[in-house]
Amino acid sequence: MSLHHSTRGRLGLAVGALGASAILLAGCAGGGGDSASGGSSDEPLIIGTTDKITSIDPAGSYDNGSFAVMNQVYPFLFNSAYGTSDVTPDIAESGEFTSPTEYTVTLKPGLTFANGNELTASDVKFSFDRQLAIADENGPSSLLGNLDSVAAPDDTTVVFTLKNGNDQTWEQILSSPAAPIVDEDVFSADAVTSDDDIVAGNAFAGQYVIDSDSPNELISYVPNPDYGGSLPAAANGGVTVSYYTDASNLKLDVSSGEVDVAFRSLSATDIDDLSSDDAVKIVEGPGGETRYIVFNFDTMPFGAGTAEADAAKSLAVRQAMADLIDREAIAEDVYKGTYTPLYSFVPQGLSGATEPLKELYGDGDGGPDADKAASTLEAAGITEPVQLNLQYNGDHYGPSSGDEYAAVKSQLEEGGLFTVNLAQTEWVQYSKDRTSDVYPMYQLGWFPDYSDADNYLTPFFSADNFLVNHYENAEVQELITTQASQTDEATRADEIGQIQQLVAEDLSTLPLLQGTQVAVVGADVEGTTLDGSFKFRYAPLHK
Amino acid sequence: MVTAVDAAAVAKPVAPQRGGLWRYILIRLILIIPTVFILVTVVFLLMRVTGDPITAALGGRLPPDQLAERIAQAGYDRPLYVQYFEYIGGVFRGDFGNTLTDGRPVVDILLQYGAATLELAFYALIVAFVLGIPLGLLAAYKRDRWQDAALRIAAILGYATPIFFLGMVLKLIFSVGLGILPVAGRAGTRTQLKLQSLDDPTGIYLIDAFRIGDPGAVGDVLLHAILPALALGILTAGIFLRLVRTNVIGTLGAQYVTSARSRGVGEYRLVTKNAYRPALIPIVTVIGLQIAMLLAGAVLTETTFEWNGIGFMLSEYLKARDFVAVQGIVVMIAVVVAITNFIVDVVAALIDPRVRY
Repeated sequence: MSLHHSTRGRLGLAVGALGASAILLAGCAGGGGDSASGGSSDEPLIIGTTDKITSIDPAGSYDNGSFAVMNQVYPFLFNSAYGTSDVTPDIAESGEFTSPTEYTVTLKPGLTFANGNELTASDVKFSFDRQLAIADENGPSSLLGNLDSVAAPDDTTVVFTLKNGNDQTWEQILSSPAAPIVDEDVFSADAVTSDDDIVAGNAFAGQYVIDSDSPNELISYVPNPDYGGSLPAAANGGVTVSYYTDASNLKLDVSSGEVDVAFRSLSATDIDDLSSDDAVKIVEGPGGETRYIVFNFDTMPFGAGTAEADAAKSLAVRQAMADLIDREAIAEDVYKGTYTPLYSFVPQGLSGATEPLKELYGDGDGGPDADKAASTLEAAGITEPVQLNLQYNGDHYGPSSGDEYAAVKSQLEEGGLFTVNLAQTEWVQYSKDRTSDVYPMYQLGWFPDYSDADNYLTPFFSADNFLVNHYENAEVQELITTQASQTDEATRADEIGQIQQLVAEDLSTLPLLQGTQVAVVGADVEGTTLDGSFKFRYAPLHK
Repeated sequence: MVTAVDAAAVAKPVAPQRGGLWRYILIRLILIIPTVFILVTVVFLLMRVTGDPITAALGGRLPPDQLAERIAQAGYDRPLYVQYFEYIGGVFRGDFGNTLTDGRPVVDILLQYGAATLELAFYALIVAFVLGIPLGLLAAYKRDRWQDAALRIAAILGYATPIFFLGMVLKLIFSVGLGILPVAGRAGTRTQLKLQSLDDPTGIYLIDAFRIGDPGAVGDVLLHAILPALALGILTAGIFLRLVRTNVIGTLGAQYVTSARSRGVGEYRLVTKNAYRPALIPIVTVIGLQIAMLLAGAVLTETTFEWNGIGFMLSEYLKARDFVAVQGIVVMIAVVVAITNFIVDVVAALIDPRVRY
């Protein structure tokens, strides 16, 4: 055989092999790999998300991605039943204030972790003590600011001593990111425990245990037969969560059936596109997310720290901005209805929520009113267009932030009252600058720690609030303190309403939108539960 | 002026010296140390130009006193030269520190994700060979005809097109449009679950898929590799094509090829027999350079296709300003490139003894 023939033969063989390989691969993938048809009933449900996990140690993270894991694998003393934002005992049998500053919990008997360790009051005390001891900068220990000490007088009794009595948010806090119960034999008392150690220690007592874990790639959950809480047992044989970086890849995979459920965070455009896809269903639920503009009372136009400081003019600028904003247009044009207009600081659906901005500003019915804005400025003696330096972030609040703030700029410039200098900064720098008086007014968003109006008021409008925007109102501060320990529900709702009214008049922040929770699920997937607890439950999902 | 002695020396064939190869290998091996040392130093200094890593990552998120405490705990408040020597010592002990974002040892990150990048680079090299060499031969065979022109234009387009753009185009065509190839990831979720069940996974999915004995998993892994390998490999294929074409055409002008042609050997046979093998020798050297380009390109390819390799992690840690992790990954890439170049040099010396002198 000549080389000529041999080479040609090899080429032919290679081409043939490639063709055969392609056929083989297609056949193989259809058989044993991931088929487009999705999993059968005995296969785990696959959930896709773009959320990230910082740590699955409750002391080491305070973000949606990490908390989603904790919700499945750790028990809570209190939790929300499916479909509600109200909390009831979970692994607790009961809980009540036994004195104004003592909250006593009785645990259900016979609780165990999946590794066989008993779950006793000692583990509960350990879980809270270590949160306070570690106080990690990425952790949620700040939620336990009212906790003075924890005692475990016997195996089923836990006594929380609080600094301020009758804390009406305490049961909610017991269901929050600060409150998962962990195994004292596995977790470190004074340091964040690694994910590997937690998984190896099988230190889980929630509805699921983690079967295998590859951080931010894949987590496999199987139902925990030892779960002793009040939530129903898992309706599926297991769940696998696949982590995506690019939401468009997630969209394609849920559309093709590669994943059964896509939860957080497809873009509004993707959701709109998928809504006409028969292969999937769009499931919506109440959203706890709020989006708003923060005003820095020192550096905004006519702010206290500026050369032309004038409190009345500063307020008029904020009020005129509120008059001009068309929330409905932003919600529909930019977010395709995946957000709804927000006319207060507490989202609709929570007890005590009102809508004071609807009447106070614009056309009195939620719409914009340029004439009213002009009158407001004129009455304050502002006759020239005001230059607004408005900052937003494009990499933390979703890809549509740019469009959202382009719309805000366009609306504010309507009628020539304002000229808006819009600027963007990436998140790491943004989070530094916003607390350093760099931005006169800027975009922020908020996801609640627990489902209570207080979580939308105290962090923003109390003294030393996390906005660091130099806003202070003694009347608001007093009401915030009062409502937190108000035991009468109607009175508390009224006080929460008063706070909203006062802040709406001051306009420390300008609420824009309220998010809805959106999950995209395969047409054959049932049990998607999106409620006011803002916890995404894996257990009720099934095919 | 050339003396008779000089002329004789020039005319005398060069014979490989005894031990020449070993001496060459030893020198090349020793040269790796200063190369890596300089790289580590440059990376260290570049990472510190804007201050300490903790301030970069956590500044603004922590109160000043807590920030200062963290900086002191990590030793970043000490003189730069002290930190430098400590870091160098750590690198030589295989300790690159812990990431700031999740506290994991950087070495673990390198081991976990390095295998994925090597696997992708391997697939890309296969694409480069499978496309670049035959098409280079074809271009040489059809030189100065329309096929040659088309292939040369294709080669230029291949290595001039940005990887992320090529990747997106491939995704749009084969994943979104035709729906025949996976859009992202190294394997489907169910295959990954099977691979995770292995007690001692290599991290190279193809090997692990063979180990679990599941043809479906093997097929799934290979299907997921096609688009990223094409995106990354087409660049190198374009370079190989040009190189093979140029070298084959050059070799076709050699005296021994002319002799063969005068004996009536056909042009096709001249290309595939006489000019083929000598023209491939420079490819070996170029591979060394391409490894560095493949690793650099892997950052974009892995990000585009969510291929969880070291390039993907590098972009994630860069976004989080985790400079400890970034520093470790960059140093590792530099070391891999240095070692690869060493291996390539040795292979080139084995193929062509003249390289040693």
